[in-house]
Amino acid sequence: MAFSTKPAIALLVLALAAVVPVFAHHSVAGQFDVDKTVKLSGTVSRVDWINPHTYVYLDVKESNGSVTTWKLESLPVAMMRKAGLSRQLILGEGQKVAISAHPARNGTPALGYILLMNYEDGRHYQFGRDPNDKPVFVE
Amino acid sequence: MTSPSGVFCLAALFVSGFAAAASGTPRLSDGHPDLNGTWENGGGIDFLKPKQGPNGSVCVTACGPPPAPGAVDPSAVRPVPDRPRYQPAFESKVRDLAARQVQLDPVLRCRPPGVPRIGPPDKIMQTAREVVFLYEDVSGPFFRIVPLDPKARRNDDSESYLGDATGHWEGDTLVVRSQNFNDETWLTDDGAFHTTGLKVTERLRRVGDLIEYAAVVDDPAVLAEPWTLRPRKLQRTDVEMGEPAPCVEQDLQHMVDDTHHTNPR
Repeated sequence: MAFSTKPAIALLVLALAAVVPVFAHHSVAGQFDVDKTVKLSGTVSRVDWINPHTYVYLDVKESNGSVTTWKLESLPVAMMRKAGLSRQLILGEGQKVAISAHPARNGTPALGYILLMNYEDGRHYQFGRDPNDKPVFVE
Repeated sequence: MTSPSGVFCLAALFVSGFAAAASGTPRLSDGHPDLNGTWENGGGIDFLKPKQGPNGSVCVTACGPPPAPGAVDPSAVRPVPDRPRYQPAFESKVRDLAARQVQLDPVLRCRPPGVPRIGPPDKIMQTAREVVFLYEDVSGPFFRIVPLDPKARRNDDSESYLGDATGHWEGDTLVVRSQNFNDETWLTDDGAFHTTGLKVTERLRRVGDLIEYAAVVDDPAVLAEPWTLRPRKLQRTDVEMGEPAPCVEQDLQHMVDDTHHTNPR
């Protein structure tokens, strides 16, 4: 997927149901709207390396110049470690990152579940599948 | 019918195979197998098969193109859950707890997972007097101290989340018997409650760079029969445990409904 520098948030209502990552404690679908995906662009300002889920904080610059910090849930620490990922890698040294995420079902603003992270240097971290994203990894 | 020479050959193969496995088993100076080390035990996430891509990219799940309509997504396939069998009078209680897992599961609130839900240890430290199990669980870091003196007891002998364990050697197998549990944990992720009468027996046998791990759970007040868990193989790993990550629950306030899934562990 091409890296986008557009700061605007595009809310895409998907015709297809996304495949839900089902290995978290509770169902992702109980907290996040798996039929919708938001596209975000910004920089990772903080990573909470905690259980039962890690959290990534993404600073997104709005068109009026203000900054919205999205709180984005991801995998438990043990799964991150098994995948070879670390807090430092997720932080990405301040470079821009494009993120696909499911938004919160209860309407909480700026809360989501990460499906895909695309860093400016070409790295991709995939935690779920958005049918509208071009597959990054093909088996 | 197998001929006498055939029996001899089979026996020779068995003995030579056992000797080969046993000879590759590191031992401590007291002659017991060396269980020390950090072990990849799956941690209930055996199904997770991350893929490494170019430029340091990683796909953790749902890799590749979406499955065709109606086709099974291989990334969503999970092992068949391992579950105890309950006496008929308690089956409805288990179903009710499972249906309300999001509301009731102690692990979702960062409470200790108990035994055997915590799984095999991630790291083992062994001396002639005791064995220490270390865990890096999604609920937080935990440890269990297993004295090899059957008369050893904690000073505080109240019921606890992880119980009181004692160990002994049966040949090359470390046998760990645990009891004195409280009833605040579940045996599995899906409502498998237990009483304070819970007893768990774990067996660890090192063969080369593997530990064969087996466990049997008994709670005669509620289970229909002792539950033998699916055996696990722990693989020696050079990936050391990290700094213990705290467990801080932040999700439940945002849950819209009680949908959950069946976990394989």
